[in-house]
Parts: sequence; structure tokens; C-alpha cells
Amino acid sequence: MKGVSAEASALLVERARRGDARAFEQLARDVERPLYRHAVRMVGQADAEDVVQDALLAAWRSLTSFEGSSFRAWIFRIATNRALDRLRSRRRHPELPLDPPAEDDDDRSWAEPAAPGPDLTDIAADREALVIVEEALATLPAEQRAALLLRDVEGFAYEEIASITTVEIGTVKSRIHRGRLAVRNALVARGWKGPAG
Amino acid sequence: MHPFVELSAYIDDALDSSAKAAVGTHLGSCAVCRTRLAELRDTARLIAALPAPVPSRSLVPRVSAPFWLAPMRTLATLASGAALFLFVASAVMSALPFGTGGGAAAPAFAPVSNASRERPAGPAGAAGPTGAADQRTSLTASASPAAGFAVNASPTPAPEAQRSLQTDATKAVTGTAAPAAQRGENVTTSPVVVAYSAPERPQLGPSPWIWLVLAVGFGALAFVLQRRLRAR
Repeated sequence: MKGVSAEASALLVERARRGDARAFEQLARDVERPLYRHAVRMVGQADAEDVVQDALLAAWRSLTSFEGSSFRAWIFRIATNRALDRLRSRRRHPELPLDPPAEDDDDRSWAEPAAPGPDLTDIAADREALVIVEEALATLPAEQRAALLLRDVEGFAYEEIASITTVEIGTVKSRIHRGRLAVRNALVARGWKGPAG
Repeated sequence: MHPFVELSAYIDDALDSSAKAAVGTHLGSCAVCRTRLAELRDTARLIAALPAPVPSRSLVPRVSAPFWLAPMRTLATLASGAALFLFVASAVMSALPFGTGGGAAAPAFAPVSNASRERPAGPAGAAGPTGAADQRTSLTASASPAAGFAVNASPTPAPEAQRSLQTDATKAVTGTAAPAAQRGENVTTSPVVVAYSAPERPQLGPSPWIWLVLAVGFGALAFVLQRRLRAR
């Protein structure tokens, strides 16, 4: 946890579990920004603050039930669930698909990457590439996006992501690869030449 | 067969040792997979390098704040709004041109205001131009100029003046209501004219400014409580 050692974090969690509100507020402050950036990419900026606040409040109310070893993974689980719930509630007027139109268990056929064409233009700066990445992430199915962000942005291990998203680790592996490949394909389609380019 | 599916897990060191060794062996002999691996690794690097948005405010719930703070903030906000509404309502009420329509609207307001004003004046009160403001709406004028403002007044002096309603009203304008009432003269001036000539309005309830002060006070309280709730 940023700014707080594991021991200090464990101490704060223990104090918060015993009802120390100030200890919980300290814990919440440490995860506030990571939760927010995760929520922004999950549900968009308009709802992200609500999602984070709901998640933190829910965490405080159910802190006594927390028995895991990682408060950060636990709070991300709550926030991710809140974000997915928010997206499901939008299904009447969907902006982003929760799942691919036709879920295919055969990862190989879905994940076949687009090959770079001979007339690709080079994307000179990472800044342009980041815009493409942001756009590509927004088009991913929510579960894929969550897994990919938890891995590449938040740095959670596959086992932790499986716990956060309550799926098997094989599903996590598949979602991360699909999501990452989709982003890579979007980059290539816009002229990205990869690390060598 | 290219192990594309395993490449991301290989990058993330999420494969068991045997799968990792198999992918490593394949990578040693497959340029396509090496290229793909490098692309996926760089894609992950780009995702990790995305700019981090920052919330516009603190999102940490103030769970250490007293439990009554939030409801008190809500109540103060509602009270401020209600006081503001009352200020506007009372200001509009006091500014409305009552009685401009002649005899139709004015009498409806006269009894209350007149009754409240007649007692301090007493039977001996003088009917100056100020008192004339109420004359236009007095339906049952009585003897003295002051008592003449009341609807159900029961003044003692000059009972003969009760015979003349219009007299009270019109004479009061000129400040000679008492003599006129006592003489029981018939004056033909219209009461409506009297109303226009005396613009002062009766005061209904407290001053509108009291409501404004309350609205500002409650608003300030709500603001302070909100700051306290949001404070880090």
C-alpha cells in the first residue's frame, strides 16, 4: 500500500475492525486515488466518485467481516463489484457491453491478432498511443477491462484478481490476455509498430 | 502451434514452471511469438502508464464525525431554504398593491389590520394622514378617528358619528376626521381615492428581513457542517 508499510497497514486494519473510525479513514485515504482511477475506467468519470464513496462506506459497514490478508484487494473487490453493478443497471441504455456479443471459449480464434500492414504510419509519441489505449479499454467488455486494469495498472497478482472478481484463475488469465490483445490490436490498427517502432 | 494464449501469463509470470519452460522453449525458435510477446509487453507498459485521474474532492467518508452531523447539515439546509422562501413570500406580499382594484379587494384585508391598530390609538387618538390609510377599508366606522379604523370597534365618544361611514374615510385624509365625524357631515369623496393617497401598508407578521437573516444564518450553518463532513 502506497505510503503505508504492510505492518502499519495491518495495524490500521486491526484498529479499524475494532471500530476505530480514524484508522479506517487513514486506510481509505491510502486507497482513495487508486480506487478512483479504477472506477473512472470502469464506469466513467460521471459515476466514479459515487462508486468509490459507496464502496468505502460499504467497506466501513462490513469491516468486521473482513478476514483476508489484503485490505487493498478486499476494498478493490467491493469497488469492482459496485462498478459492475452500476454498469448492469445501465443495461436498458447500454453504452458499453458487459460481455462480448458471442462469448467464445476458444481463446485462439478470438484472440488472433491483427497483422500489421505494410503501409502503417508510425505513432511517434506514447502520448498518442495512450489515447488509443484509453479508447480501446473503453470498448472492452467490463469483466475483461476490470481484470486488465487490476493487473496492469494496480499490479495485482492473478490469484488476487481471481479473488477480487470471484472467478477461477483460468478465467482471469483468459480475460487479461483477451483484453491486452484487444488493446494491442487497436494500437496496431492505428499504425503502432510495437516496441521496435 | 503458437502459444498465443499463454503469452500474457508468461509476461506476468503467472504460469507454472512446466508451462513457463514450454513457452520459453517455443520462444527460442519462433520469431512470430517473440514479436507478439514484445508487443503484448509494451501494451501492458502503455496501460500501466495511463494518466491517473484525480477526484475533484475527498471521497473518504467521514465516519469519525459525530453521527448527528449529517442530519443536522440536512436540517440546516432545509431551514435555510424555508426561510428564504418565507422571505420572498413575505416581501412579495407586502409589495403587492392591495386595494388598487377599488372596493373589491380592500375590505378583505381591512378588518385584521385595522383591529390591530386601533387599540393603541384609543378613542382620543388623532387621525392624521397616516391613519387615513386605513380609512378606505373601514366598513363600520365609529366615532373617533382612531376608533373609526376598526371593524368592530366599540368606541365611546361621539356615537353620532357612527351614522356616517363615508365621512370618516374621507375626512381622515385631510386630517380633519375628528371634527367631521363629530359633525356627521356627508362627504362625497370616494374612498378609493383615499386609498391611493395614502400608500403606507399595514405590516403583516414579522419583517421580511428577519427571514432573510434566518436564511443566511441557516445557510452558513449548513456550509460549516458540510465543510466539517468533508474535511480530511
